[in-house]
Amino acid sequence: MVAAAKTVEATKTRELLAVATHGICLRGTYHRVQTQYLVQHGWELQSRENESPRIGVLFLNSGGDPRSASGDSAVHWADSFARSGYPSFRFDLPGLGDSDGELPEKWQDFFQLVNSGHYASFVSSLTKILMDRYQLSGVVVAGHCAGSVSAIYAAASSRNIQGVVVLDPYFFREEDERPAIRKGLSHLVTRNKVAGQLSKVYGGVKKVSMLVKGNKLPNNANMPLLRCWNQVASAGVPILVLYTQQARPRAGEFDYFRYLQSLPGGAGRMVLQFIEGANHSFADDAGREAVRRFTEEWLEASFWLAAPERYRSLAARREERWPMRAAR
Amino acid sequence: MARPSYSRKAVLDMIPREQAGYFEVPGAHLYTVLHTAADPLARVLLVGPFAWERHSSYVPWVRWARYLAEKGVECLRYDYRGIGESTGKFDHLSFQDWAEDVQLLAGWLDSLAPEAPLALHGLEMGALLASQAFRAGIGDALLMWAPPDNANQALRPALTRRVAVDNMFRYGDQRKGVEDYIRRLETEPMEIEGYQWSGRLWQESFDLELPADMRDGRKMATDCARPFRTVQLDKSVEPLIKGSRYVAMNPDLTELFADNFEWIAGALAVPSGGQNGCGR
Repeated sequence: MVAAAKTVEATKTRELLAVATHGICLRGTYHRVQTQYLVQHGWELQSRENESPRIGVLFLNSGGDPRSASGDSAVHWADSFARSGYPSFRFDLPGLGDSDGELPEKWQDFFQLVNSGHYASFVSSLTKILMDRYQLSGVVVAGHCAGSVSAIYAAASSRNIQGVVVLDPYFFREEDERPAIRKGLSHLVTRNKVAGQLSKVYGGVKKVSMLVKGNKLPNNANMPLLRCWNQVASAGVPILVLYTQQARPRAGEFDYFRYLQSLPGGAGRMVLQFIEGANHSFADDAGREAVRRFTEEWLEASFWLAAPERYRSLAARREERWPMRAAR
Repeated sequence: MARPSYSRKAVLDMIPREQAGYFEVPGAHLYTVLHTAADPLARVLLVGPFAWERHSSYVPWVRWARYLAEKGVECLRYDYRGIGESTGKFDHLSFQDWAEDVQLLAGWLDSLAPEAPLALHGLEMGALLASQAFRAGIGDALLMWAPPDNANQALRPALTRRVAVDNMFRYGDQRKGVEDYIRRLETEPMEIEGYQWSGRLWQESFDLELPADMRDGRKMATDCARPFRTVQLDKSVEPLIKGSRYVAMNPDLTELFADNFEWIAGALAVPSGGQNGCGR
């Protein structure tokens, strides 16, 4: 089922990969650790390369976008993480981008596949191939929106996945079609000040209603996904959640983040960070920079500071040079 | 030592059907994917949609490349300099750089098998760039899907979307119009759909125009014997061109593909090559 990867080496920093798994060819890009950068910054290259816990970062497609993601932000992040010492990979899942494989005709059917965990086995195989080929000690899987769903499913099925970064994850199955009148009202709220105020009142009423009913999961909650999340979090796998206004529960909406934190072992090593001013794509200036900064800090905190003594001393030296904020 | 012998089919099977690579251009590497065909009857350079349009149309665009390769037409698709998998800094680039990409890649593709005719095929902004190269004498035929009259027409919808998003939950005087953003763009770069636009990009977009004689797709070129075709696309082919319905992600475009393949095959069967004053 799994075959060796083929590569095309062209630029100094990137390599193109083709990996055969499950009978199809998946295509991706490898961002090499930029050793020159490490040398320039006074690192003992050999120590960093040979003794470090060599963690790779694997980016999945956000929704149906090709692997560069909206505004090519995944390219920016992968370049940046590679400069910080993390070999980074971006792959197209089956049917997406340059990869082979079938894809449904409609978005709705695609999201059904995503929400049922269809892509988990591909991600799991990929991590295995990358670990073998690049002698990694583990892989952190990063996903945005639909990609975050696949990342969570995959993490529950693979011990090679040692960390998960999710951007604006969602935990419901397909949304029901909203009645036209609700669509119209939503549109009005964005344009009319009075309607905006009325919307706030409506939200308040819904909030009270939720308090009365209790913190009960909505009918369209994606239970298998929530179980996977809990399994991953309970196992102590570090999870970084970055979310924007769009994923933030509005007044009267069920708060999945709070729910997951409240489960026994649910909080685990989960770090939750709201990104002010970013939009759902994270491709804007605020989103792009925040993802880079928080993820790099989290990677250091999760995989360097937690490492054995000889790594910690290296990390401490780095800390002296570039003091970083503690991950929240 | 005897050399192992392989059948032609076995040899062809060993060559990947899709060869991804990087092509060096001044200051950057272009990401390219060559869709190979055995004994190609023709070659096509696919000049894809621009920046943000690339993301939504990627799946059908790749399907089109695979369709052509299966029909025996070898084709090359690529990412513009500073966009997608290609290297380079978007905000430092101009339409001149992207036009140069087309010329360099067409030259390379042509050199792979000079005997096979070469067609240029552009989608939206790519159609404008392809038309420029064609007008400069590159290619034996030109196919354009949904070309705008000028590059500004391709930029404006993205700017309008940015304005609409910013204006959400803004009321009265807080709301800004497209013209306010254009004025701002003249003095400072602005992030639009993940790309840093410069005032220069906006200004130069008015200068990249579709030649007047190519706006009517039913006409054949009169200044040379090389055929071209313009195909206007409607929202039914979403997401090949950006729409707003968000229903189809991988629609059945067999009819569109078959019709345009027929045209390419017919157009490239017309003898060409230096006899018509068009540079080939």
